[in-house]
Amino acid sequence: MTATTTDLARLSTPYWQRTRWQTWLLIAVLIGGGFVMLYPFAWLVLSAFKLPADIIRIPPTLWPEEWSLEAFQVVLSHKIGGGSLTRSYINSIFVTVVTVIAVLITSTLGGYCFARLRFPLREPLFYFVLSTTMVPFLTLLIPLYIVMDRLELLNTLWVLIVPSVFSSFGIFLCRQFVYGIPVELYDAAKIDGAGDFTIYTRIIVGMMKPVISVLAIFSFRATFNDYLWPLVTITDGGNYTLPLALRGIGNSFGWFDYSKVMASSLLTLIPPLIVFFIFQRNLVKGIALTGIKG
Amino acid sequence: MAVTAGPSPTDAAPVRSPRAWLSQYSWLGMGFAFTLSLFYLVMFVIPFGTAIWLSFHNWDYIQKPVFVKTRNFAKLFGDSGFWDALWNTVRFSSVEIFVALSLALLLALALSHLRPVYQYTLLAVYNLPVIMPGVVSVLLWKWLYRTNGGAFNAILETVGLPAQPFSKSPDQALWCITLMVVWIFLGNSSIVLLAAINEVPDSLLEAAQLDGASAWKRFTAVTLPLIQPAMAYQVVTSIIGTMQMFEPFQLMPGPGHSTRTLSLYTYQLGFEVLNLGYGAAVSIAMFVILLSATLFELQRRRRSWDY
Repeated sequence: MTATTTDLARLSTPYWQRTRWQTWLLIAVLIGGGFVMLYPFAWLVLSAFKLPADIIRIPPTLWPEEWSLEAFQVVLSHKIGGGSLTRSYINSIFVTVVTVIAVLITSTLGGYCFARLRFPLREPLFYFVLSTTMVPFLTLLIPLYIVMDRLELLNTLWVLIVPSVFSSFGIFLCRQFVYGIPVELYDAAKIDGAGDFTIYTRIIVGMMKPVISVLAIFSFRATFNDYLWPLVTITDGGNYTLPLALRGIGNSFGWFDYSKVMASSLLTLIPPLIVFFIFQRNLVKGIALTGIKG
Repeated sequence: MAVTAGPSPTDAAPVRSPRAWLSQYSWLGMGFAFTLSLFYLVMFVIPFGTAIWLSFHNWDYIQKPVFVKTRNFAKLFGDSGFWDALWNTVRFSSVEIFVALSLALLLALALSHLRPVYQYTLLAVYNLPVIMPGVVSVLLWKWLYRTNGGAFNAILETVGLPAQPFSKSPDQALWCITLMVVWIFLGNSSIVLLAAINEVPDSLLEAAQLDGASAWKRFTAVTLPLIQPAMAYQVVTSIIGTMQMFEPFQLMPGPGHSTRTLSLYTYQLGFEVLNLGYGAAVSIAMFVILLSATLFELQRRRRSWDY
């Protein structure tokens, strides 16, 4: 693969023999920068526990005067256009889990097929799939909406899943990875009488673990955080995903009640935070591997 | 990433009969190719074709579409809404990329001097905003930016500066969004650059040092040229990402059309004004602009690293 795929970490001593205080200075500056990065996040977390009287204080204070769970209680029982935050939570998790699993299956299988199996039009088809990534989603937005309307999928959770079950990027990534697996392994299994599908399930999938975890994170992030597509296709509050529910909460509570908005934001962040802390190393490697943004 | 070519189907033995022709192929491969083609037909070819078709028609989603030849594209050239949106998109995109990439490069350089364990820990902190849904970031920053009692104005006040209108002002609103987007993607960009910087061979830097090159000279003459491909990759993905960005412009808009970008304009034409034909024309223009910007950047960068 590319040069960037090797581990970020290098254990050899750097050429620049720095003095101890220079290193500490560097760390101090970087930690300072880290605090600047965390500053907005601190407002989010701490304001979620504030009482209404506390949240409208001028000048505002970062630390809550009195810790309160009132905001959480209010948002959890708040109705959002026929749905609720809990309902949206379930919807989001369902859509994300199904999409991620689908993307993982189609990408690994696709990577294997495009790299190792023979079928007509293999190369043209692959380059076609790759070229679709050049078309911005905004260009497809209006017509894709019309297609979904014709398929009568609008306003169901399936409209959020179906258009994403194949991922051009995932197929590309997996194909490159399968090329890295020695072809002898495939040939040996073939001689032993294994079919194409058996080779895929018994050998290929097991070897693709690194790329699978990277894809899973990207796919999770893209699906869970998606806003524009659900905004267009979901109008019934009962089928809202979390970003839509948050927008609804942002509209119904004003500046005076912003602890409710921050409390629901904090609740929304729990699944991404769990995934983030479990897979942080993979995420770092994955971004280094693909350089993908957003 | 280079695309490696595998054994091509044309290498196969000469064809004798349809049965023999079929037997050289994998059933699994053919089944997958069929499903994939069907999916891309419905989810890509038909929508993309419809977008082009729609751009030559007028349609409000209710009555029959009317063929208007190239009138939508002619309208585009005289529409100040389109040009303003394009100008906002270009301003936002170029400033965001310049600021984010410069900061990310500084951050990556600083991190490259640390031990891997510190690199990972600090990156986790800088990378936290990337995992947050865009809506969460926008709702949070919108609140911090507010004119009366917002956290940012409180900071300005403590250091003795006058309060700013931020998102309330047509001159500042776009840059408020830009700053937030830089905050979101800073960690992400620096990971890519850090990986590239870590790949620079120590021997080259040592040699330069022995030849008496200053730290600045080592950076510009050794490190920077070697991380060009990573920089180019980062610029291209950033162009694609920023030009299509949507949430901040819809949820944290400035007064009037001061922060309306091409993506928001397309959305409004298609789903608020219900002018689907013109919306499609704008989105096709967006596709052409994005494609040209990407190809131009790739071409420009490629020339600089072919040595």
